[in-house]
Amino acid sequence: MTATLRLAGVGAAPGIAIAPAWRYEEGGSAAAADGVAAAGRPAAPDPAGSVRAAAETAARELEALADRVRATGRDEEAGIFDGQALLAISPTLVDDAVERVEMGAPPPDAVAAAADAAAEVLAALDDELLAARAADVRDVGARIARILRGEELRLPAASAIAVADDLPPSVTAEIPAGLLRGIVLQGGSRTAHAVILARSLGIPAIVGTSGILAALDAAGRAAGGGDVDLAVDGDTGEVVLAPDAAERAAFAARDAALARRRARAAAARGRPGATADGQRVLLVANIGTPDDAPRALEAGAEGVGLFRTEFLFMQRQAPPTEDEQVAAYRRVFEAFGPERPVVVRLADIGGDKGIPYLRLPAEANPFLGVRAIRLAYGDPELLRTQLRAIWRAGGLAGVVPHVMAPMVATLDDVALLESLRDDARAAVVAAGQPCADAMVTGIMVEVPAAAFLAPELARRVAFFSIGTNDLTQYVMAADRGNATLGHLQDALHPAVLRAVAGVVAGADAAGIPVAVCGELAGDPAGALVLVGLGVDELSADAGSLDEVRVALAAVSGEELAELARGALAAPDAAAVRAAAGVLLARAAAGPEEAGPAA
Amino acid sequence: MRTLEIEIRNPSGIHLRPAGTFVKGAAAYRSAITLENVTRGGRAVNAKDALAVLSHGKAARGDTVRIVAEGEDEEAAIAGLQALIESGLGETLE
Repeated sequence: MTATLRLAGVGAAPGIAIAPAWRYEEGGSAAAADGVAAAGRPAAPDPAGSVRAAAETAARELEALADRVRATGRDEEAGIFDGQALLAISPTLVDDAVERVEMGAPPPDAVAAAADAAAEVLAALDDELLAARAADVRDVGARIARILRGEELRLPAASAIAVADDLPPSVTAEIPAGLLRGIVLQGGSRTAHAVILARSLGIPAIVGTSGILAALDAAGRAAGGGDVDLAVDGDTGEVVLAPDAAERAAFAARDAALARRRARAAAARGRPGATADGQRVLLVANIGTPDDAPRALEAGAEGVGLFRTEFLFMQRQAPPTEDEQVAAYRRVFEAFGPERPVVVRLADIGGDKGIPYLRLPAEANPFLGVRAIRLAYGDPELLRTQLRAIWRAGGLAGVVPHVMAPMVATLDDVALLESLRDDARAAVVAAGQPCADAMVTGIMVEVPAAAFLAPELARRVAFFSIGTNDLTQYVMAADRGNATLGHLQDALHPAVLRAVAGVVAGADAAGIPVAVCGELAGDPAGALVLVGLGVDELSADAGSLDEVRVALAAVSGEELAELARGALAAPDAAAVRAAAGVLLARAAAGPEEAGPAA
Repeated sequence: MRTLEIEIRNPSGIHLRPAGTFVKGAAAYRSAITLENVTRGGRAVNAKDALAVLSHGKAARGDTVRIVAEGEDEEAAIAGLQALIESGLGETLE
């Protein structure tokens, strides 16, 4: 019996699993196999020809793998293997390997060396996406080398948790679905390919688990070469080797609770956001790039409440062209269609975010300086171009774009926004380009001045979207990044909530909707309080929508209004959280299970 | 020998997936085919070589590339690759 050992990694994909470990090693049993080949198998009569044949075989295997993966609906992953199939027969790779063979290198080593050289060329290019393909080239090289050694890819034969330093995409994809119960990496990052696969399969993944390989080897020896079981928790990053009966029971209980939560969330997914008594709350997603759109739709987002556009403007030497912006906005508009509104936030840049081509002077207090809409007083062209691109993208996609300006403080800011919007439309129409029929124009409320002016601002715009992160920082005069000011950074502080209540009152008087797109909207406790205060729409990261939807569905509008009344009068944020926690505990227990335990 | 000069209109140029589509398209012909970025200068690379096109054949939106085909099906190759690029190399163009 092996002693139980507990290791800590970083949870990267949620879920619980208990299963035997299956150890994957880069290059597998390369040394042993080469020994066998040298001793028992005659050298191939035509080593150069064998390299070319193995490359062709690898390409065919990869095409077949792409087809199999595509048949399960994982198109993006299939694209990886289409690309790998082309790399396998790339003359740059194959000719280099053949040359090395002709110089006397054993064919598998020659291919591996040629792949390393090609990978280094890609990694050295000043292009992040191409550099990431270096791993694909090495993966392809390993496959061709394995074919040359006459080896099969060693795969688990029964349900297992894969343990490796890193798992190349072609290995994870070859493991029959259903057998792979979890992934534990000693290295890796939260964006490793294996992690993305784990999320799509709904199995746990843990990365950065230092010591796991050595511990597993030691446990394997202690078990006399037999299986070593693992228990893993993809939320907490816990990995337990050879769990004892008590550990197994604890993980099984967590697994059951997670399964209940997931089943309830999945059942609620198709339904629009609402309280138990049917008060509608629009649940929409925050997205950072067009690539985030599919995940948001999958999570049941009823639209996009915050499409951040900074990705277009950052990390480059010149501003993005209008055409480039049209393409990005159009992709998102088309993904959500005319029934699910997308709110584009105009570029929130300047001040603290270094944008070299804007040539802005350094400021002592960038968060109180020239950023976002304030930039347009001196340099209107940046936002005017962005608005032209949004008009055009809306026209091409056949939708009415929603737009909001960040950092609005005064009625003058709204007048500036309106004139930029109208100038942009006139320019698009004059150029004879496709143009959206209308644009719904709103503002972010994150500056205290805008919260105080809410009644006046509400008569000028079509909607408010409260950015609770910045609003909290400005109301409490507490830098978001200063770790010693934690007690002033909780957006549930009654001071911030009173500002929200004032904004809602101003909006109600003018009959416009209020959204919240800060982190508070994706925090179930925050969501309950905000809806109680009269907020109509919550916009959060796609990953938070399930929990918020389930929490709302468990409580009535009247209970939330009462929670909000108490919150406004509470002494501090902790008291508000405690009160919201009582309602949340009931949501977590589920309506059918509310009993003595709850 | 046949030559084609054409402007790339893909939003992010010939890059990753569009590059793969182009290489796959070129590989369908028997002729020897090269790709060269006229706008940026640089050498002509084997259009059927994925690694060469990825590392040296990169073209941004608006760049002009020169494609040269030589062989029995050179005419079909040029016509086919022109149609492939004009159709967006598997991506949607405006």
